[in-house]
Amino acid sequence: MSSLEIRDVRKSYGAAHILKGINIGINSGDFLVLVGPSGCGKSTLLNMIAGLDTITSGELLIDGKVMNDVHPSQRDIAMVFQSYALYPNMSVEKNISFGLEMRKMPKAEIDKRVADVSQMLQIQPLLKRKPSQLSGGQRQRVAMGRALVREPKIFLFDEPLSNLDAKLRVDMRTEIKKLHQRLGSTIVYVTHDQIEAMTLATKIAIMKAGVLQQLGSPDEVYNAPANMFVASFMGSPSMNLIPSKLVMQDGKLTASVKLKSGQELFLPLAENAAYNAWQGKEVILGLRPEAITDPGSAEATSKLLHQADVLIDVVEPTGADIYARMELNGQDTVGRMRANCGAIAKQNAPVTFNMQQAVLFDPKTEERIS
Amino acid sequence: MNSTIVGTKQGVSPWRVVLYVTLIVFAIFYLLPLFVMLVTSFKTLDEIRLGNILAFPSEWTTEPWVKAWGNACVGLTCEGIKGYFWNSIKMVVPAVLLSTLMGALNGYVLTKWRFPGHKWVFGLMLFGCFIPFQIVLIPMSQVLGFFGLAGTTAGLIFVHVVYGLGFTTLFFRNYYEAFPTELVKAAMIDGASFLGIFWRILLPSSGPIIVVTIIWQFTNVWNDFLFGASFAAGEGAPMTVALNNLVNSSTGVKEYNVDMAAAMFAALPTLLVYIVAGRYFVRGLMAGSVKG
Repeated sequence: MSSLEIRDVRKSYGAAHILKGINIGINSGDFLVLVGPSGCGKSTLLNMIAGLDTITSGELLIDGKVMNDVHPSQRDIAMVFQSYALYPNMSVEKNISFGLEMRKMPKAEIDKRVADVSQMLQIQPLLKRKPSQLSGGQRQRVAMGRALVREPKIFLFDEPLSNLDAKLRVDMRTEIKKLHQRLGSTIVYVTHDQIEAMTLATKIAIMKAGVLQQLGSPDEVYNAPANMFVASFMGSPSMNLIPSKLVMQDGKLTASVKLKSGQELFLPLAENAAYNAWQGKEVILGLRPEAITDPGSAEATSKLLHQADVLIDVVEPTGADIYARMELNGQDTVGRMRANCGAIAKQNAPVTFNMQQAVLFDPKTEERIS
Repeated sequence: MNSTIVGTKQGVSPWRVVLYVTLIVFAIFYLLPLFVMLVTSFKTLDEIRLGNILAFPSEWTTEPWVKAWGNACVGLTCEGIKGYFWNSIKMVVPAVLLSTLMGALNGYVLTKWRFPGHKWVFGLMLFGCFIPFQIVLIPMSQVLGFFGLAGTTAGLIFVHVVYGLGFTTLFFRNYYEAFPTELVKAAMIDGASFLGIFWRILLPSSGPIIVVTIIWQFTNVWNDFLFGASFAAGEGAPMTVALNNLVNSSTGVKEYNVDMAAAMFAALPTLLVYIVAGRYFVRGLMAGSVKG
């Protein structure tokens, strides 16, 4: 267990810059998730932490010690690979003990640790089998066992759940979370799935095209996204980004939104000194689907509720909720409502906007106004 | 194993009969020389002179085999081919093992430890596969003379290892190309060394390609005549050269039965290797062509 610091780390292949100055610091016990679309450089960064890829410039510190030129085996890390990378010629037991054997650990100690880990992951019945005789979920467990048995400072996970079917993925996700809570280990986890990121992380680093977009807790990233990319990447369905204009109405700053009927809504905004400069200017209004809902579901505690009748274009039931699509300022917008709220397609329905959750973005820089 | 696809229709169609008859005829055609060699080697000289080469021996005798092995005349000495047989074994075993091991190492480095210019190195090794034997004879004899290996079994082993390296590297490189690199990375993090990864992870997973390489190298080295004749003279000559000398040594009567028995001795080891390892050969050649 230990801390990790990434200082202005860059990676280039000739003229191609894969990572453009990444700064991330996490404490002991943190669960850092690197998330982003494919090609954003998250796996490269993980490989650099593992020592499997060289660092072009910048520093990588584990426990305050520079690790740039330290061999992977000396960094005291363990990695779980996307393909599991189990040694096909060895039994499960050998797979798990291989790393300890290479480190010349006494046989008795190895046996004890293997027994402990296989107990914890409930893979004792599989110990004598070969990887080819295991199912996907079992292989996943063995791969985790191989990492756990080493008791390293940092665990690295490279999209470990992406090869599992949907149901198993959710189960294993919970198990990884439990494991982290029980062991309190430091984990760096790469995924392209934002739900995995939200559910597992204590800290999320969102990356795009080799640039860190935002580093923060799941709550910060979700409710106060640094820019429009983060806003649309995190959350499903993603945040509504509606072009809007800030106007003064009854002495208060509001975001104006025109409905299909031609009616103009003036949605009240939370007090924020930064917004004043934008009076009369175009902004992007960011509203999560759950902030556009039926009056019954709207948070009673929120002071900034605004209700209006809006024409619903399409209703998409998901069972627990319905997604109601409407047009705001010509932009297709999703609201999340209770299944029995009575919204019907092609008819008006009462809609409550919870403006406490609204965020504003600069349309040019795409950064959040704050 | 989808034999059911072919045999879905019940009964025997005329097409099937034609197919099998053709196949059987070809099989007989190819097996005929072996048959003639075998029956001739069990016949007495008197019977051979009758000229009926396809007939079974009227009187089976193992004497030609005993003579070929123990006291046929090869050149001036009449001690049979047994000494040369062992010469070949002494040459083929180290040559095959060394070239296979080195090919595996080359393949490992060329796929998992790539260095600038690795494509060129591999390209040149591939090129080496196409160099005809005859071209290297004189330079090779100079090299052997320089190392003091001329006319020794060690020298012959050296020649075969160098010559086989192109092929063995090609085999192993293509096999390891499909071998997941993540396994090597995992082993690296686990603390295995360069050679540790090779011995503990890669080689144990290389069964099929090792068998292919051994069969390929064994048949090539065992059957080689030109290098044997050029670089190992007299007592040190391999089986193939000795067989040639035995057949060409004229001590009055031409003993066809002894010649045939000696030829059978020369062919036995390669036959054995194919029979024992043949099914792995096909499996290895097909490895990687289909998933799973």
